[in-house]
Amino acid sequence: MGTQVRRALKAVRIRRAFLTISMAAFSPLALPILAQQPVQPVKVTQITGLMGVTKNTGGNLTVEGGNLHFNHEQTKVEVATTSMEDVVTGGDSQRLLHGTLGTLTMLAPYGSGRFLSLFRTKLDTLTVKYRDTDGGLHGAIFTMAVGKADVLKKELLAQGAHTTAPEEPSNSAAAQTPAAKEQKR
Amino acid sequence: MRSLLRGGIVSAFVLTTLIAGTVLRAQENKPVKIKASAIKVEMIQSDEIKLPAEFQVALYEDLIQQLQKKGGLHVYREGDRNAADAADLVVLHSTVRGFKEGSEKMREVTTVAGATSIAIHCVFKDREGKALLESDVKGNVRFFGGNLRATYDFAKKTAQITHDHFSPTAGA
Repeated sequence: MGTQVRRALKAVRIRRAFLTISMAAFSPLALPILAQQPVQPVKVTQITGLMGVTKNTGGNLTVEGGNLHFNHEQTKVEVATTSMEDVVTGGDSQRLLHGTLGTLTMLAPYGSGRFLSLFRTKLDTLTVKYRDTDGGLHGAIFTMAVGKADVLKKELLAQGAHTTAPEEPSNSAAAQTPAAKEQKR
Repeated sequence: MRSLLRGGIVSAFVLTTLIAGTVLRAQENKPVKIKASAIKVEMIQSDEIKLPAEFQVALYEDLIQQLQKKGGLHVYREGDRNAADAADLVVLHSTVRGFKEGSEKMREVTTVAGATSIAIHCVFKDREGKALLESDVKGNVRFFGGNLRATYDFAKKTAQITHDHFSPTAGA
């Protein structure tokens, strides 16, 4: 009886050891696979700075294969993450009713346009400084929904971009709260 | 009748002299342009004043865009290797001296409060680093638009200063 228990325990230990060794052996392969999972496109507005894209153009931003991709209809712009000298996130806000409709509501009677200005949505900003092939310095600014900029920044840094404002561990969680975003400014 | 005619002639003469004088004076006040065929824009520096990264980048990009729009000079970005071969190159260094970030919400609600303003000291230097021109430029947004509009205001003013003082043909 005792011998059987000992054998069973020995078999369990061997299995455990085998499992641990195999996990350790395959982990270097598993990590890059996880890291290379394509990030979901993030809806952004390009405020300024991307070559060949007009100001305030909406589009999708993805970080994939060592490049930052901006897609807007037929326009596709790529910036190599290794050419990025600085990636910084920030916060801002905009009128709930913006664009042409927003401008028209400013003219609404009895100060209702002003009243509507009180309703605002919070935004994240992502600022990227990068070099072109001639070494010329460019700067691009994007705005996007709250909480998206930090994810993109992490992805960019993981793929070779640099930053002068390295993220603090406690900062990312705190950044999700509106109060924290206000303090960031 | 004759006196009326004489009066008219005298008035016309005085008026012509006045207009000619004003035009001549305006021409005299016009700054003599410095010969330059290209301008290299350095990134805006803000060592003493904490400027958000998006403002710094927007100032730089708007400035380049406005200089290109004005024309006359070829515009190079900071670090552009092609600038090394450019003849009569002027380098523009800009340093932030003051920054007050207002609030778009406050501007839209109150009209009178919440203005954003940026004060920048611009130095135009030649290739050897000798200062050719120095100027303090302010960028403001008082009523409508986002805070970043202040950078557009600064860029427009600086591009005008550049256009007024530098030309590919000296003394033009």
